[in-house]
Amino acid sequence: MRNSSLRTMFRSPLVLVVLVVLLWFIATFLLFPNINLLVSTFFPGGEFSARAVEKLFSSERAMKSLFNSFLLAISLAVTVNVVGIFIVLVTKYFQIRGSRVLWLGYATTLIYGGIVLAAGYNFIYGRYGFITNAVRNVWPEVDPNWFSGFFAVLLVMTFATTTNHMLFLSSSLAKIDYQTIEAARNMGASTWKILWKIVLPALRPMIFAVTVLTFLTGLGALTAPLVIGGADFQTIAPMIVTFSKSASSRDLAALLAIILGLATIILLAVMNRVEKSGVYFSVAKVATPLKKQRIQNRAANVVVHVVAYLLFIVYATPVLLIVLFSFVDSTAVLTGSITLSSFTLDNYATVFGSPAVLRPFIVSIVYSALAALIVVGGLLFVARVIQKYRNPVTSVLEYLLHIPWILPTILIALALVMTFDRPNPLIGGQVLTGTTVLLLVAYIIVKIPFTLRLLKAAFASIPDSLEDAARILGAKSLFTFRRVLFPLVIPTAAAITALNFNSLLDDYDAAVFLYHPLYEPLGIAIKASTEGESNLDSMSITFVYTVLLMIIMGLTMYLVYGRSGGTTRRRKGRNVTPDAVANDPAAAAAVANTK
Amino acid sequence: MKKRNLTSTALAVVVVGSIGLTGCSAGAGSSGGESGGSGDSTGTLIVYTNSNSDGRGEWITAQAEEAGLDIEIVGLGGADLANRIVAEKNNPVGDVVFGLNNMYFETLKAEEAITAYEPEWAGEVDQESGDPKDGAFWPLVEQAIVTVYDTNKISESDAPSDTSDLWNDSKWDGRYEVNTALGQATPQLILAGLLTQHLDEDGDLGVSDKGWEEVEKYFAHGSPAVEGTDLYARITRDEVDFGVLPSSGIAARDAEYGTKTGVIAPEVGVPYVTEQISVIAGTSKQDRAEEFIDWFGSAEVQGEFAKEFSAYPVNEEARAQALPEVIELIDSLDKQDIDYNLVRENIAAWVEKTELEYLP
Repeated sequence: MRNSSLRTMFRSPLVLVVLVVLLWFIATFLLFPNINLLVSTFFPGGEFSARAVEKLFSSERAMKSLFNSFLLAISLAVTVNVVGIFIVLVTKYFQIRGSRVLWLGYATTLIYGGIVLAAGYNFIYGRYGFITNAVRNVWPEVDPNWFSGFFAVLLVMTFATTTNHMLFLSSSLAKIDYQTIEAARNMGASTWKILWKIVLPALRPMIFAVTVLTFLTGLGALTAPLVIGGADFQTIAPMIVTFSKSASSRDLAALLAIILGLATIILLAVMNRVEKSGVYFSVAKVATPLKKQRIQNRAANVVVHVVAYLLFIVYATPVLLIVLFSFVDSTAVLTGSITLSSFTLDNYATVFGSPAVLRPFIVSIVYSALAALIVVGGLLFVARVIQKYRNPVTSVLEYLLHIPWILPTILIALALVMTFDRPNPLIGGQVLTGTTVLLLVAYIIVKIPFTLRLLKAAFASIPDSLEDAARILGAKSLFTFRRVLFPLVIPTAAAITALNFNSLLDDYDAAVFLYHPLYEPLGIAIKASTEGESNLDSMSITFVYTVLLMIIMGLTMYLVYGRSGGTTRRRKGRNVTPDAVANDPAAAAAVANTK
Repeated sequence: MKKRNLTSTALAVVVVGSIGLTGCSAGAGSSGGESGGSGDSTGTLIVYTNSNSDGRGEWITAQAEEAGLDIEIVGLGGADLANRIVAEKNNPVGDVVFGLNNMYFETLKAEEAITAYEPEWAGEVDQESGDPKDGAFWPLVEQAIVTVYDTNKISESDAPSDTSDLWNDSKWDGRYEVNTALGQATPQLILAGLLTQHLDEDGDLGVSDKGWEEVEKYFAHGSPAVEGTDLYARITRDEVDFGVLPSSGIAARDAEYGTKTGVIAPEVGVPYVTEQISVIAGTSKQDRAEEFIDWFGSAEVQGEFAKEFSAYPVNEEARAQALPEVIELIDSLDKQDIDYNLVRENIAAWVEKTELEYLP
């Protein structure tokens, strides 16, 4: 890259401002607190202790769990890509009957996850699940515990983590220059060859980005292995949680987390290198929206349809069950004997009967929205600088921004409490512990790596020529950014904002140490209402909260996707993806040109 | 069209967000910011507890309000709460903490996160249940950690007389639930109850080899608890026969599942937990924190609390108001002799060793 030299970078005042703010943020909130914590963890009494390393490596259980986590992460990186790319293609690329319905089914993973998702699968395929029962009625010799262990965890997590593909790969696909596809077809290329040689290569930056995310999700898998892993397949995350809660074992938690984090960073570095070796400008310079492709081979067409609908069933059933179960008496759900008389509104009455039930929702919505907007808004500039100027300074900054991936949220939260409990010159002598600000800071921090990866991938697909054109025509850098670059990444940015918002809504790990007593967030409220020694309806209450969360998250996704999708369709009168138009590069280029 | 739509959405979100932010920072200014240093003795009293579930938190807040006390309950799980108080000790957010067991209160005391205060009702409780040496924390209610089964399925004569039979008799192999979430309070107490029977200064971490063997067998022959599935649901569908539970949870489950709970009463007794109360060190509301403790621990309030939540108060005058079945159960179970100070010093290392070597 010619313009990657440090000198060019420091010439732009906008870049300078971004870098200064970034440096301050990294030093204050990423480096200072965490180094503080790690030093006190690994250097108790001022001397380095190798205790953690010895303990871990001599523990057979820790090694096995660690191995399982890596096995899961690597397997997921493959399976999620296969399933994820398939569902993106059948909903956005190929002509499939009922593709919008399919999209809704596949999109259910956007709005729920964690324990509820694992439980949903368990109610279907588990030992007391209805599929297991049905199969055993026909073939009694089938093992009732068939759905457990590595295979079950992999299956559940594969279907649970295609969210990123659904959102980001779809939006990248929509940006492909359709004329290249048409040209290839005119030259006689087959459907398969076009897919393999033109479409997939153009998607590579985004595939790399979501693969890293998937790998990380696999390494950090917590609830799915706990619920359906059985004795044979336990992962390392539960051990990290236990150890991070004990002051004297915290070094073990930190070490384990660092091992997982470093593995992710190494993968990231490899991907960065591969990405650097290619150019992936895929934005069409002339707006020819992608047209859905027919699958020419009849047999292949039938197979793709069948698989698409089978997947739809797999995706949609757990959600329907959870909605159903939220209306069922919890004893009936757990003992597996649901009759008509088990249906009740009691679960909803319990949730809405408690005083001030709405307050935690509002608190969490405000926190999540602020954090999601701030992190995306800030990183829009940062991601562009890092993506455009490739030099040692930006590389170091990029890796530093991934610190939140290396440490578990619990440790990040503890580090913040302990660092900002006294006036700190880095933040103008303020004390943050015990204020409402600290939780917001934590939310922003934990969402940085995810946001950065995806924004960077989004910027990577924009050709420099657009920005150059604007500059040559005399546009200032901020103007160029606002009117040329920003509109091009806004679909991705909006999707990231929505996802960040959704994932923060029911956060518990950060809130537990940081929330202000008068502003109780939702995760804490849910936990409180599902705990208790005489509280037997905990699972049902979790289901009710999940249904309520699904409604909020569904609305968020509708705001980002649904509404704009509607207007586009009306205007264009044909079924193109909303992203394709939201991201109208010709218009953006035109703006640049008129200036 | 399209662009304007998105922009207006984004604008709306920002506006709503910034309204929220001003609300938040106003809150921070009035309560967090100022009480940050010291001196703010007005405003709501922040009460930290892990004992707010099943409607307890709402009940206490309402009763306190009647008594003229303005409190806000912050409810978190035991381990999380103790960690939070220790992390905040240079700039405490809470004013009073109650509900944690002796083990956690010993930690808070060792970290100097609580200060001693002798409540008005000190003479009505058994000092031995609290902190007889320094009076840093004071006992409220007691619970037994018991091994239960359903007498509809297993008669009392068939049930083992000692909990260790469960893992030493192959008859019960895989038929009892073990909780492997060792970050939580109850599993830690079970572990402490096992290991303190085999203390040996020369053994690893102060426990004899026999003790560690017992732990190994306990986990090896048990059926790990299933996240999100209640013990009694598992008993009802015949996955397991035995499991461990704090005594206060029995009545509600018998009513819900139609079980008739039997309890194994080993000779050494069962672990008891005593929930304690104390003032958080460095609070700016010392006077009102003390006032709350005097009120909440009084025989009258504890008696009402016991009636409402089937608790077993330590306060002898309040005990008269506890439910008869609760008194009967507690009287039938000997208290295992556990030195909680010793447990506090060792539990982290014990948990670590168990987690690394013995969990399934």
